[in-house]
Amino acid sequence: MATVQYDQLQTLYRTLLVFATVAVVILAVGLVEFVYFEPPGQTTGVKARIAGVYQYDQATGNTIGPDRSSFARTEEFAAVVDWSGLPPDLSVDARWYDTFGSVVGRVGPSTPAALGPRTIIAVTVPQGLHHNLPGHYTFVVERLQGGLPVEVLARRIVLVER
Amino acid sequence: MRATPAYTTPPAANPQPRLRPGRYGIAVAITAVVVIALIASSLLNYVYLDSIPGRTSLYGLLAVALIALGTYIGVRAFTRERASRRKHLIRAGVLLGLGVLLWLLVIDVFVFTQAAGPGVAAICALACIPTTAFGLFVVRRMDRNEKEPWKLVLVAAAWGAIVATSLVIWGESLWESIASRTLVPGPGLDASTAFSAGVLEELAKGTAVVLLFLVMRNDFDDVVDGIVYGAAVGLGFNFMESVTYMTNLYAIFNSEGFGWYAAGFQWYARQGLGLFFGHATYTAFIGAGLGVARQLHNKRQKAFAILSGFLIAIAGHFSWDAWLTFFPIDSTLFGLVEIHMRTLIMTGPFTAGVIALLLFGIRYEAMNLVDQFRKEAASGSGAILPEEIPILASPWQRLKQRLRAFRRGGLRAYFKVARLQSGQLDLAMERWHRERQEIDMPLEAEDALRQRVLQLRHWVPA
Repeated sequence: MATVQYDQLQTLYRTLLVFATVAVVILAVGLVEFVYFEPPGQTTGVKARIAGVYQYDQATGNTIGPDRSSFARTEEFAAVVDWSGLPPDLSVDARWYDTFGSVVGRVGPSTPAALGPRTIIAVTVPQGLHHNLPGHYTFVVERLQGGLPVEVLARRIVLVER
Repeated sequence: MRATPAYTTPPAANPQPRLRPGRYGIAVAITAVVVIALIASSLLNYVYLDSIPGRTSLYGLLAVALIALGTYIGVRAFTRERASRRKHLIRAGVLLGLGVLLWLLVIDVFVFTQAAGPGVAAICALACIPTTAFGLFVVRRMDRNEKEPWKLVLVAAAWGAIVATSLVIWGESLWESIASRTLVPGPGLDASTAFSAGVLEELAKGTAVVLLFLVMRNDFDDVVDGIVYGAAVGLGFNFMESVTYMTNLYAIFNSEGFGWYAAGFQWYARQGLGLFFGHATYTAFIGAGLGVARQLHNKRQKAFAILSGFLIAIAGHFSWDAWLTFFPIDSTLFGLVEIHMRTLIMTGPFTAGVIALLLFGIRYEAMNLVDQFRKEAASGSGAILPEEIPILASPWQRLKQRLRAFRRGGLRAYFKVARLQSGQLDLAMERWHRERQEIDMPLEAEDALRQRVLQLRHWVPA
C-alpha cells in the first residue's frame, strides 16, 4: 500500500511561494522600469505653448483653417508649437504618437533656440499605408535629460475619425 | 505528516455542520461589491467618459443582471429536489441565454456597428467559439480523476467573458485616461498601462474563482480543480477580448484593404498561439493558489497561498503587456518565427509553471484517491471492491472498462458504468476530504453517497 504523505501538499505550497517570489521580483523590476522612465522630481514648471492642431498641406508645408480636435483619415494635420516661451538652452523635442503608441512625426531633440523656425510638426502616414490610421493621436513637447524624455511640457490629443 | 487510522471510516469532520458556513457570508459580500462596482462603473463611464464603451457599459447592466440572476438560479437548482430542478434549470438557461444575447447585441450596436458592422462582429465571435470550446474541453479533461461539472466550467467561462470584462472597463478607462494625460509617452507609460491590466483584469477574473471556491466547495477539491476553473475563466475572458480586438482592428485597417488580415492575425495570436499561453495561464495560477489553500489548515498559509496565486497571475500578465515591445517583430518572413518565439519566451515559463503544478496536483490527488479506494474496499461496504482498485486508479483502465460494457450492452451500459465509476471516485474524494477534516458535509452525506454507489452497482450488469 502506498503511504500518503501530507508533506506533498506542503511541497505544492512551497512551489507556489517560490513562483510568488519570482512574481514579486518581476513586479519590482516593472516598478524600477517605471521610475527610470518617469523619474520623480522632474517638474520644472516650464510650459510649452501649442498654438493649435491644424489641417496641413504637404505641398506648401503650411497649415490650413482653424484649430481642430478631430480629423478625417484622409486629412493631413500638424501641430504648431511656439518655441519662444521656452528657456533657449533646454533640451527638447516634439513628437506625434498614433493610437498604437508609434511615433508618427517628430522634431528634435534640440534646443528651443535651434528649433525656433521649425514650428510646424506634421503627422506622417506610416509606410505602406494610404492614410492615417483612425484613433487618438497624442502630441507632446518633451524635455529631455541624458537623451531620455523626462517631462511633458505640453500635450494635445486629437481624434482621427474612422 | 499526520497519522491516519487505516481501514476505518473517518469521523465527521464537522460534527455540527451549519447549514450556511461562514464563507457564504464572504461570498455574499464579494458579490455585493461586484454588483455595486458594476453599477458605479457604468454610471461613472456614462457621466464622465461619455465614450461608446461607457454607453455600452450602462446599457449592458441589464445583461449583467440577467446573467447574475441566471447563474444564481442555476447554481441553486442543484441544491433542490430532482422534481423541481428541471424547472429551475430551464429558468436559469433562459435568463443566461437572454443575458448573453443582449450583451452581444449591446456590443455590436454600440461599439462596433458604426465602424465594422454587426456582421463582422458576428463573424469574429463565430470564429472564436470553436477554439474557445476546444480550450474548455482540454482544460476540463486535464482533471483526469474527477472532472468538473460542465455547468460550473461554463459559468466560470461566462464570468470571464461577460462579468470580468465589464468590471474592468471603468477602471482601465480611468487609469488610461489619467496616465495618457500625465505620463511621458514611452516605456514608462507602457509599464503603467501594464500594471493597470495586470492588477485590474486579474482581480476581476480572480473574483469568479474566489466565488466558486467559497460557494461550490464540494466541486472545488484541490489544486487541480482550481487550475481548471481558473483556466476556464481565463478562456472566457480571452474569448471576449479576442472578439473586441479582432473587430476593432478590422475597423482600423479595413479602409487600407487588409481588415480581414488584421482580424485574422489577431485571431491566430489570441485563439491559436495564445489560447493556453495568455489569460488561461494567468488565471490558472489564481485557481492553483485557491486550490492549495482549500486543503491547507493553517490560516496564515491559506492566505499566503491565495495571495501567491494572485501575485503570479498579475506578474505574468504585467510582464507580457509591459515588455512586449522589447521583442520587436521583423516585417520579413522571419517575423512569423519571431512571433512564436516571443510567446514561448515571455509566457512559456508561466505556462510551464502552471503545468508543473497541475501534474504534481494530479499525482498527489491520484495517490490519495488510491489510498481511499483501499480503505473503502477494506471496510467491506461493497461500494468499492478490492479487484476494482487497479481499474479505478487508472483513467485508461476506467475507459477500457466502459468500452467493455459498451461492447456488451451498448451505450446504455457504457453510461451506467461511467456513472458507477464517477460515484466511486466521488466517494473516495469525500473520504479524503473527511479524513483531512476539510469538509462541511455531515457523515450522513458520505453514507448517502455510498448507498448511491451500491444502488448504481446493482444496476450495472456484471
